[in-house]
Amino acid sequence: MSIQLNNISKRYSRDFGLENLSLTVEQGELFVLLGASGSGKSTILRLIAGLLEVDSGQILLNDRDVTRLPPQKRDTGFVFQNYSLFAHLTVAQNIEFGLKIRKTERQERQRRIDELLKMIGLQGYRDRLPHQLSGGQQQRVALARALAPNPSVLLLDEPFGALDVKIRAQLRQNLRQIQQEYHVTTILVTHDQEEAFELADRIGVIDHGELLEIGTPTELYRRPRQHFTATFLGTANLLPARRNGTQVYVNETTIPALPNTEHLSGQPVDVLFRPEAVELALSPDDLHGYVLGAGVIEQIAFAGVFERVSVRLKEHNLQALISYEQATAFDLQPGKLVFVGVKDYHLLPQAVT
Amino acid sequence: MREIKPHSLGAFLLLGIVLAYALILIIAPLIAIIQGALAKGLEPILDTLSDPNVRHALEITFYMAAGATLLNTVFGVIIAWVLERQQFHGRRFLNWLVDIPFVFSPVIGGYTLIVLFGREGLIDSPFPIVFALPGILLAKTFVSLPFVPREVAPVLRSLPISSEEAAYTLGANRWTTFRRIVLPGIWVGVVYGVVLTLARALGEFGAVAVVGGGVEGVTETATMFVHRALLDRNREGAYTIALLLGILAILLLLIMTWLQRRMNLYRERTAHVHTTE
Amino acid sequence: MAENSLIAAAPHQPVSAPHSRASTLSVGAWGLRSAAALYLLLLVGVPILVVIGKGISPGLAVLWDSVSNPVAVSAIWLTVSTALVMTVINTIFGTLTAYVLVRYRFPGRSVFNVIIDLPFAIPTLVTGVMLVLLYGPQSVIGSFVEDATGQRIIFETPGIVLALLFISYPFVIRSIQPVLVGLNVAQEEAAVTLGASSWETFRRVIFPAIRPAVISGALLSFARALGEFGSIIIVAGNIPMRSQTATTYIYTQVEAGDMPAASGISLVLIAIALVATIMVDVLLRKRRSDARD
Repeated sequence: MSIQLNNISKRYSRDFGLENLSLTVEQGELFVLLGASGSGKSTILRLIAGLLEVDSGQILLNDRDVTRLPPQKRDTGFVFQNYSLFAHLTVAQNIEFGLKIRKTERQERQRRIDELLKMIGLQGYRDRLPHQLSGGQQQRVALARALAPNPSVLLLDEPFGALDVKIRAQLRQNLRQIQQEYHVTTILVTHDQEEAFELADRIGVIDHGELLEIGTPTELYRRPRQHFTATFLGTANLLPARRNGTQVYVNETTIPALPNTEHLSGQPVDVLFRPEAVELALSPDDLHGYVLGAGVIEQIAFAGVFERVSVRLKEHNLQALISYEQATAFDLQPGKLVFVGVKDYHLLPQAVT
Repeated sequence: MREIKPHSLGAFLLLGIVLAYALILIIAPLIAIIQGALAKGLEPILDTLSDPNVRHALEITFYMAAGATLLNTVFGVIIAWVLERQQFHGRRFLNWLVDIPFVFSPVIGGYTLIVLFGREGLIDSPFPIVFALPGILLAKTFVSLPFVPREVAPVLRSLPISSEEAAYTLGANRWTTFRRIVLPGIWVGVVYGVVLTLARALGEFGAVAVVGGGVEGVTETATMFVHRALLDRNREGAYTIALLLGILAILLLLIMTWLQRRMNLYRERTAHVHTTE
Repeated sequence: MAENSLIAAAPHQPVSAPHSRASTLSVGAWGLRSAAALYLLLLVGVPILVVIGKGISPGLAVLWDSVSNPVAVSAIWLTVSTALVMTVINTIFGTLTAYVLVRYRFPGRSVFNVIIDLPFAIPTLVTGVMLVLLYGPQSVIGSFVEDATGQRIIFETPGIVLALLFISYPFVIRSIQPVLVGLNVAQEEAAVTLGASSWETFRRVIFPAIRPAVISGALLSFARALGEFGSIIIVAGNIPMRSQTATTYIYTQVEAGDMPAASGISLVLIAIALVATIMVDVLLRKRRSDARD
């Protein structure tokens, strides 16, 4: 085990806090803490780094109890969202800062600087000052600086949040490469679900100070166990249903129950299916998947690769992704009557309000 | 607010009134004292400056002011740090205390010192405080206290705390972080505050007049000398030292201007760091 | 200087980035806090307590006596009235000056900006000397005015007002200036596109935004003026009942060794000044929370 949080509690404002939160991150893993603003994800990161002190609980890094240690002694690398480079120092001086503190020899420092500059692709930028760099370049330097002293844990607090979309995508790729090459245990905090999917080995979904679910991106996307996870990780179509025996009663029709869902019998459930799992056809016999019923097209929006189609099914509004070809073939227009089917679905217990 | 070149009659009028007011109120008196000091030529000026009592007065003024400035700089930076980087009950109260010397009449300050340390004072001290140099030092420290915290605090506030946190995670302790990361960021504010503190401490009169004793050659400061010279009808002597103090103040002001320009340059530079693309 | 200071001297205000506060509390941090608190409590808190204590301890009757005798009353009245007159004039001209300084580009603007700080740097005693040289009975202006109107400038009330105007010149200006600089240009431009003239824009858009700064600057110069001594002792005659202000009265009493007489008036002056600073603090806090919304 590389990072272990045991029953962490931290009150960080009058109404909010973390309570009895536990988490284990494996050696060499890239773990993403995903949640909305104010959910507590940054707090968890800062507790691990030692920038905040826990009220109770234990933090172990590589089996070492660091709970009472200051950030200087924890051997973590931290990348902040912005404004963290030392404004009066050059790129090279920024990167070697941690090494200088550890009294590394000059030659070794220079070698490491060169190595890292190459890794982040900023070889010619040694003597530049932070204000001469773009936002994306600054964050790359921040990453290099954090990695220079070879920390056992790398922590990133929404590192790309302040950057343009294109730059973000590029930096994400860079980070993935670097992390895989160095194999340093990493926790990245973000509210961007796309980012989480792209980078994570595992994702921890956090809401209002509570760690709701942990799983791989696929698991959480396809088979979430919580309502919040389902809706946070992408557009979710949810229909209330009842499961009985081998059937699921939904939308006044029935669809076959999936295996291993017996434990949900007798309680109110939601049928979850993603927009890409929705099928539309002009007649029910043309549907390959499970038939849900008839609906009316509300809106069609162009989204590049697909058309985003809103369909009204009784009192529910569903989102579907339909290819351009299909949309034109069926001549989909607002107001048109279509039949809705679903190719794959998942059952969730209904959210307790 | 939008910046424009004045082009309407109203604008020129406004500009004229404001500049005339400043000219009459501020500039004219300065001219008057230059004139007054030079009225009888250079000889009285040189006489005054070579008078050993005057020399001594200038010396102790400078040393006591320097001492006050040193104290207020060290503690001023600490105060600014504590107010900007820490959260605690009573922070607002301490913040309020910092500005009090601005409006606390120096005469009353001197009176306080006498109540505390005078002959029938509340505190018995093994060495003389009032009517002696320590009292002068205390008086100068009191009146010039607010400048360093007030100049450093906003600069500190605009310094991103994530830089300091980054230094901590990289292994730097508090003192190293302060020395290598914070100080380079605030030094302009510190120096600006120091200059203002020095100017105020040098020019202090009210508290010092009450508490200083005024024994020439022993406990007389430059400002007290000017006052006594006027009473003794030593006009040229008074005008000379007054002009000297005035020139010193203007010099310090010029340093302040240069610093301000550097502050703005630095601010522009760091503002750039904050841009996202 | 700062948004959270009573006096703003630097014309450009830094934009404060929102930040969290590290709550890791170590011995070092606690030590710093104690040092700061101790320094302030000893150097500032103690004098305040002394003034209040000394003023109240002999009893309210004695306090009342010491401030209600005719000399004291006259001194207080002179102090307050001159401070008020000065505050009105200073507020008007200070607002105009700040406006002109921020709005118009003119040659010598940066020099002018520095000159505004002059009264901060020049010893008040020197200010008194300068004014006597310029307006005293032996000067060109002084003698002319005295011959023409029979009114002396120096050693009389007008001289006091002039001195106060000089020393508090920067206060209103430096209080307003940063607010003007930080004003959102878009608001002004919106008003202009909607047809407002310069004056209307000032009246309806700009002034409401700077009003707290104007008031706090005014309060500050008033409080400052109450305590002014160095220039007054030179410029006013210090003749009891005629040209003696509260501060010169206190000075005279302390020099004469009559401490009880001094303590009453000291309490009154300090009380007024403290109330003024509290009001300014409230105003500034309100401005900052308004700006946040």
